[in-house]
Amino acid sequence: MGEFKVHRVRFFDYMPSGIRCMAFNSKADRLALARLNGSVEIFNFSNNYFQEKVIPGSDSRSIEAICWVGCDRLFTAGLNGEVVEYDLERLCPKYTLDAFGGPIWTAACNSAETHFAFGCEDGSVKLFEILPDKIQFERNLDRQKGRILSLSWHKSGTLIAAGSLDVIRVFDVKSGHSVQRILVDRGPAGTRNKDCVVWNVAFLSDYTIVSGDSAGKVQLWDANKGTLIKTHLVSKWDVLSLSVSENEDSIVAGTSEGTVIQFQLLSPTIGDAETQWIRTRTFKHHTHDVRAVTETKTAVVSGGLDTQLVICPLMDKVEVKSSESVLRKVIFPHRSLVSCAKKPSLLLFQFPDQLELWRLGGTDTVGKPGESLPVTRKPEKLLQLKRKGDDHICCSTISECGHWIAYSTVSSIRLYQLQCDNNNISITKVSKLPKVLRSAHQLQFSADSSKLFVASEQATIHVISLSRSECKHVHTFKPKSGSSAPVHLLAASADGQWLTSANRHCEINVYNLKKLTHHCMVPVYNSLPSAMAIHPETSNLLMAHADQQVFEFSIVDKQYTDWSRKLQKEGLHRCRSKWHTPITHITFNPSASSQVMLHDTHMFCIIDQRLPLVDLQAQFYSQLTPKDMSETDRPSKNNAFKMCKKYQIVLGSLTLILTLYFTALFPWPLLHVNLLEDDWLVVVERPLIDIHSQLPAPVRQKKFGT
Amino acid sequence: MATKQRGGVDVRRKKKRNIDVKAIVDLGADYSDDDDDDDDDAPEEVTFEKAKADAVRSMRNALDTIKRDKELLKEKRRKRQELFQQQKKRKLLSEDILEEIELAYTKKGKTLDSEEQEKEESEEDEESEDEEEVVNARLKESYKAVRLKDQIDANARQESASDFIKSRLYGPGTNRTTTNHMLSLKNKTGMNKTAAVQFVDKKWGSEKKGEAEKFKKRWIRNQNMVAK
Repeated sequence: MGEFKVHRVRFFDYMPSGIRCMAFNSKADRLALARLNGSVEIFNFSNNYFQEKVIPGSDSRSIEAICWVGCDRLFTAGLNGEVVEYDLERLCPKYTLDAFGGPIWTAACNSAETHFAFGCEDGSVKLFEILPDKIQFERNLDRQKGRILSLSWHKSGTLIAAGSLDVIRVFDVKSGHSVQRILVDRGPAGTRNKDCVVWNVAFLSDYTIVSGDSAGKVQLWDANKGTLIKTHLVSKWDVLSLSVSENEDSIVAGTSEGTVIQFQLLSPTIGDAETQWIRTRTFKHHTHDVRAVTETKTAVVSGGLDTQLVICPLMDKVEVKSSESVLRKVIFPHRSLVSCAKKPSLLLFQFPDQLELWRLGGTDTVGKPGESLPVTRKPEKLLQLKRKGDDHICCSTISECGHWIAYSTVSSIRLYQLQCDNNNISITKVSKLPKVLRSAHQLQFSADSSKLFVASEQATIHVISLSRSECKHVHTFKPKSGSSAPVHLLAASADGQWLTSANRHCEINVYNLKKLTHHCMVPVYNSLPSAMAIHPETSNLLMAHADQQVFEFSIVDKQYTDWSRKLQKEGLHRCRSKWHTPITHITFNPSASSQVMLHDTHMFCIIDQRLPLVDLQAQFYSQLTPKDMSETDRPSKNNAFKMCKKYQIVLGSLTLILTLYFTALFPWPLLHVNLLEDDWLVVVERPLIDIHSQLPAPVRQKKFGT
Repeated sequence: MATKQRGGVDVRRKKKRNIDVKAIVDLGADYSDDDDDDDDDAPEEVTFEKAKADAVRSMRNALDTIKRDKELLKEKRRKRQELFQQQKKRKLLSEDILEEIELAYTKKGKTLDSEEQEKEESEEDEESEDEEEVVNARLKESYKAVRLKDQIDANARQESASDFIKSRLYGPGTNRTTTNHMLSLKNKTGMNKTAAVQFVDKKWGSEKKGEAEKFKKRWIRNQNMVAK
């Protein structure tokens, strides 16, 4: 069972953007991350580090600092001089405020969360008051000569330390005057010509200032006297990021060479009461500059210009050996950026600034298992659709028949009609869309391409009927519980009767399209759903959650199926615990109705629902040539899960015949896997080396003997 | 002292010259008058007082001429200056237009200050409306005056800020290298030592490889021609 011909697609030039700054909210256990293209991502750390929300960026927006206020308010400030507050329900900027100080380099909130301080290019520190629905300018502190590059409040809220070029100033908040001026030395002999930029400062509660600067030093200063306590020379290049833990016993610094260094407050001799800041650990998980670090209770989170988010557990803080104690690297987004139109073999790739439509190539030859076939028809790029305006594309989709394309940004939705007759492609924009459509979090066409389902920003789902002449708004579905959480997944059944939606509060609602009513709600499971699909024949809803659990729910019976209950009771094989990335896509095999295919970034597996589930301790066997095996040997190896470890990699070809048995581990990250007709499988891969080759320049490291 | 002496010497010399001239002229006059008198008469007695008075008179005359010359020069200069000023005035705009522009400018200055202090949006609208009214009074309805300087300024500051960061991270003296170099180091120092990435992976550095190929062909052709 399960012989497939594979299209291996490598022409999706997906390029993630580097990480600029991050902020951890310990009350909500969420991390907010800002990237260089202006997008903001929120990760839920208690939910298996799932990428919960993504606010798309904009060309006019630049982010230099990000800050949480309370549990649910997020602010950013950037080089365009504006402060932006985000609406985390509608996933768009709520309002922007110009600070009138030129480009803003840094922002910090005081511990009482009543005031914001912004460090600007013109040398002034601006204080803003935080009100329940907005922020308001209060006053300026004394203006200084150089640009203010870093800020930190003292715990009491009475002093602010500001780092600039060659100097650190301590301001008294009440009077606004600078009470202390600390001159930072320029470092070892080679760097004396350039001024020393103090990239970060942190103000500890015992009036110690920690600073990281461009000469590669982490220095501790006494704020009352203005003197140097200790210097740690950590690198030859800049120390670009610094973070202090909540209980102030650990400092983490990130450098330009990609190392992350930890300092801890320890006493040098055991039993001694006097403690010092001592350099303890060094991590090298990055290849490029580390521009953001933060510390949670059990891990060090770092991100930089190599676009990876690395969560490194601190083994002395981790108590239980659970999923927390594993090094994680988040490279790809936790949702699918590729849509597939199965009948005409078209793939739609979503980039932040454009959409690309490709037709898959083909081959006329037949071959043996494990062989790679020559390509007779090359894949061709049919269309490149650039977006209008500054805002980045947040979602896109193509219909099954390949005649409709839709995409959405935070400000508009656009629908296009596509006609392709062999070699001619023509695209027309549908101009009059119903007024109710403004922006969408998710778009989905129905299986017969007659309707478009739009998950709008107000947490409702609009049903739009499509026809050649016009688009009419048919109905709006509202969630039963009335929650306003954004909907991030939509699935429609093949017969056009059911529509399901999943939102960020882990609620999954099922709607009846024929009667246009709410049908039922799936029992809420604590983890966020990461992929969802409805079986074309049995109308069972298959859901995969962020913690790798898979459920099957029968829509007609309004309860979990027997297979799902068995799966939950017996559990999954221990190999599943190695899967760290969430499942992003579920699909079904059109030729075998009992086979379910799901994939995440590093593997895809096919589950046959008819076969018995594997025993937890049983070994896996890899079946390479089933046809050669005798009849008696086969049934004993008939498990529902199988792994194929030996996977031949053939470079330079685009199609390959493989006999894939149920799970194949891929050496390269997968972006999308889908089953086409006639036993064809399309696999969109993105080798990491292709991403690395387009990253900005790293620092030059001299290694002996090279 | 030297200058005094010098001046003194010059003045004395001048006086002496004048006196000599005067003396010669006087003598000449006397001589012409005394044509009819006897040759045997004694020369006329020139008393000390008379000589002194003569000297003083001549000195005074000299000083007067100098003063007069100076005044004449001054007059000339003043006249020239006035002439230039009049020409300049003719070039500039009329007074009332200048006043109006100044008025608009001071109002704009006031608006900027108030914006610094208060962030209420309604205030901003009011002020901008006021200044627009002043300028709109002179323009037609369909045109709108916008200060280009404001808009370009914001972009320029953002550009200079991002240039600062780029130069600190990637500018001269930052010791950066290529991705090829970094990945090649990994290849060379790893467990299985392989060559640099541009040789291992065929797609790397395709432009450079193309150029190298062309150079090789050209060189071979040159060598062949030289050999012939």
